Amino acid sequence: MEKLSFVGKSITRVDAEEKVTGSAIYGYDLVLPDMLYGKVLFSTRPHAIIKRIDTEKARRLPGVHAVVTGKDAPWTHGETIKDMPFLAQGKVRFVGEPVAAVAAVDEDTAQAAVALIEVEYEDCPAYFSPEEACNPGAVLIHEDYDSYRKSDIIVPGPLPNILEHFKLRTGNVEAGFRESDLVLEQRYVVPAIGHAALEPHSAHAQVDPESGKVTVWVANDAPFRVLHETAEALGLPKEKIRFINPYQGGGFGSKGAMKVETIAIALAYQTNGRPVRVKFNRAETFVSTITRHEAIVYIKSGVKRDGTLVARQVRIYWGAGAYAEKSPTVCIKGSHPSPGPYRIPHVQVDGYAVYTNKPLAGAFRGYGVPQTAWACEQHMDELAQRLGMDALDFRLKNVFVDGDLSYWGERLQSVGLKETLLKATEAIGWGKKTGQSNPPKGIRIGKGFACIAKPTRTPTTSTAAVKIDSRGDVMILAGTVEIGQGCTTILSQIAAEELQVPIDKVRMHSLDTDLIPFDASTTSSRSTYHMGNAVKRAAVKARDQITEMAASLFDTSKENLELSNGKVRVKDRREPALSFGEVICQKLGSDGVVAGDGAYTFEMGKDVDPQTGHSEHASAFYMYATQAAEVAVDEETGRVRLIRMVAAHDVGKAINPLNCVAQIEGGLAMGIGAALHEELVIDDHGRVKNPSFLDYHLVTSLDLPKMETIIVECPDPNGPYGAKGLGEPGLAPTPAAIGNAVANALGTRIYELPLSPERVYWAIQTSKKNPSPSVSAEPVVSNPTSFR
Amino acid sequence: MQCVAVPAIFPGWPGERGDINKKIRITLNGQERILEVVPYRLLLDLLRDEMGMTGTKEGCGTGDCGACTVLLHGKPVNSCLVFSGELDGADIVTIEGLKIGPELHPVQDAFRQDGGAQCGYCTPGMLMMTTALLRENEQPTEEEIRFALSGNLCRCTGYAKIIQAVQRAAEMMREKKITEAKG
Repeated sequence: MEKLSFVGKSITRVDAEEKVTGSAIYGYDLVLPDMLYGKVLFSTRPHAIIKRIDTEKARRLPGVHAVVTGKDAPWTHGETIKDMPFLAQGKVRFVGEPVAAVAAVDEDTAQAAVALIEVEYEDCPAYFSPEEACNPGAVLIHEDYDSYRKSDIIVPGPLPNILEHFKLRTGNVEAGFRESDLVLEQRYVVPAIGHAALEPHSAHAQVDPESGKVTVWVANDAPFRVLHETAEALGLPKEKIRFINPYQGGGFGSKGAMKVETIAIALAYQTNGRPVRVKFNRAETFVSTITRHEAIVYIKSGVKRDGTLVARQVRIYWGAGAYAEKSPTVCIKGSHPSPGPYRIPHVQVDGYAVYTNKPLAGAFRGYGVPQTAWACEQHMDELAQRLGMDALDFRLKNVFVDGDLSYWGERLQSVGLKETLLKATEAIGWGKKTGQSNPPKGIRIGKGFACIAKPTRTPTTSTAAVKIDSRGDVMILAGTVEIGQGCTTILSQIAAEELQVPIDKVRMHSLDTDLIPFDASTTSSRSTYHMGNAVKRAAVKARDQITEMAASLFDTSKENLELSNGKVRVKDRREPALSFGEVICQKLGSDGVVAGDGAYTFEMGKDVDPQTGHSEHASAFYMYATQAAEVAVDEETGRVRLIRMVAAHDVGKAINPLNCVAQIEGGLAMGIGAALHEELVIDDHGRVKNPSFLDYHLVTSLDLPKMETIIVECPDPNGPYGAKGLGEPGLAPTPAAIGNAVANALGTRIYELPLSPERVYWAIQTSKKNPSPSVSAEPVVSNPTSFR
Repeated sequence: MQCVAVPAIFPGWPGERGDINKKIRITLNGQERILEVVPYRLLLDLLRDEMGMTGTKEGCGTGDCGACTVLLHGKPVNSCLVFSGELDGADIVTIEGLKIGPELHPVQDAFRQDGGAQCGYCTPGMLMMTTALLRENEQPTEEEIRFALSGNLCRCTGYAKIIQAVQRAAEMMREKKITEAKG
């Protein structure tokens, strides 16, 4: 392979200086001239008809400029199902739903006005569990579901309140179970958790009274998609809408689609051109934006005595909360790989996204894979145990390798999974005694691991431009959002590599949809791959123009030129090199600019078929990872202490190894939080009981063990320099790895997250009373049983 | 059923409360300032809203996340828990005052180089807390660093790179001291 100058190097983050000096401006920091301040009245009922709203007193309060309710904002939005009003219309569906909003001269006045709004409700039956909400006979949370505008991918479900039904059908699972020597079925539960990005949500909006143009300043991870959604909702042409992106203080999926944006826009329509700022505080951010899907996963597998997987049936209830948001695509993308990265001839998956009267669930780093991995990977360990097989041998016998035909009909290539399995288990010392062979009395030590494959949203498009000015400065115009993942650095490295210019000559333009070419979204770990390719192509085009001009200046052919350090020279000639700036000045004048454009779509990509779940190219690439844990469990208290964690990730090619490690470590921490203590607790009135950092236990610097990261590079044939994505998988196998380690330590398994001391304590007590069959070393060969 | 929504958090609004402004004299990032403040306003809001210094971040407003950490008389405090009315005579240092002339403070430089900042929103608070730690303890152990930063939440990094950066900053500051002593 050609020698690389910038790619593959741990170059210092180019956005770091702004961030360490406090000069980086985030959405929450933004101040606009003459702006008004918005505050929101939230629903106090989980499911109720709004009988009356009286805003009169609020309107009369001095300093109030606008009060809006659903009547003033008769619009609905949604990524794939247009079911969500800008503000509640006639009905509320969760505690925390925006009902009315006020814009006033300052926040105190706005808040005081909100308190003067009177609402009369008539309660309806409410559902707080996805399984209950789709019982036959359940009251509909969305009576008008059938008439909502929906995208083609939506498959309505057979039972009430199911908003999407994902199906995957391969072979015949019933026949598969009959052929099997052992059939095992289990139920796993994952609660809702919060994204808890350190920057709370906010949006600023302005409607120009002359042109009607709507401008929104918001740290949104998919400005082009949200622009499209806004245009659709308001019935405006796209050029009448503009999104401007300040820095984002973390999002992890929460800052996509429309959240605070809708309220800011609804208010801005009433303020005669004055911009409106709406900020959610921490509690509002926890409750009234989105959460990660709670999931109930039933998984049933049939295996041969020798450990060959024969059949697997998975049924998942995704708790969507009160509105669809991204639930349909989470249901599709999360259910599709739920049987795990294994060769299985007979597979059936049914994923149901179900409305409930809880806060909305939506995109969260990992897009469903963390939830299903919690089920599948513990299930794999339990199967191995019952077969009397080693958990690693069992996986190695079944795991995807290069050239396998997956159960969704795709021929897989560039599969680094086996290598991650071997490396992670070796690093944790799988099969060897633990470091603490004589733990203190009452402390039980265990090891475990888990592996995953995560697809990316496909097909999607990224476009970019790279321009070089007469000073030789390079500007990248790309719609990837710097959400903390380091895209600015990665894309700068790629441009620097193709142009052979010093990295400090490269800058990336801030994101404004009026100026920057289209990008699908900064989600799904897709940016390095898609935007990386687009920037690479754009840089090559710009380079070609430079070399063409230089060839004529040097009176030679392009092939004889070489680039280095922002200069071009003729190979083997003594003539001094010309800087890019000099080339441009001489050929185009001092105002000259050279620009190249680039676009990338994974052309073969095809979304999975809604009826069969099949696609020959369901994902542009797959991300493979294995993580392993060593834990110490205190029998007396049930407290799980992590001794160490190992994470081996196939990244294709590490464009910036330091940044890869940083992504993995951050993912691990998030996965550890989800494994051990994170949970949004919702009471039986639908109220979130812990919407603060005091009560919601985010991982602190004291909670983390030693983390070892291993980068595996199994190059992707289409990725830039072989790169795949990495943003999401860091947290996906973590809870299952820890769960397997805890089961290994205790000899009993816990099926529900988080592994809180209380839950672990009771599991220990229960297993003492009646030892669970799973601790049996003998393989239990059972007859196929019916699926629930 | 009749239901009056959310009870009023505030007794009224500015006009009705009859706010009395208080004159305070403070040293902010080394510069003396005389300000008229509403006494019950928080230091965090004073910095961000009144003075336009948004380097100090708001993550929770309730003293739980540490994003708004500043130095008050050299000690780290959550600026969301300090009232403006208490500030007469205060010496305050914020992230904007950390640079030494045009140079990054070693703490800033270490975070920059070691990947201590990802989204960067917790970074100013982390940096102020680290500065306070290294003033009191030039050579903290990993455990001491973890303890010192345990009130500063970060959702991006998993803290590993932050701990590394603090260790490097401590090293840089010790070296600087030695060089200065020699020079």
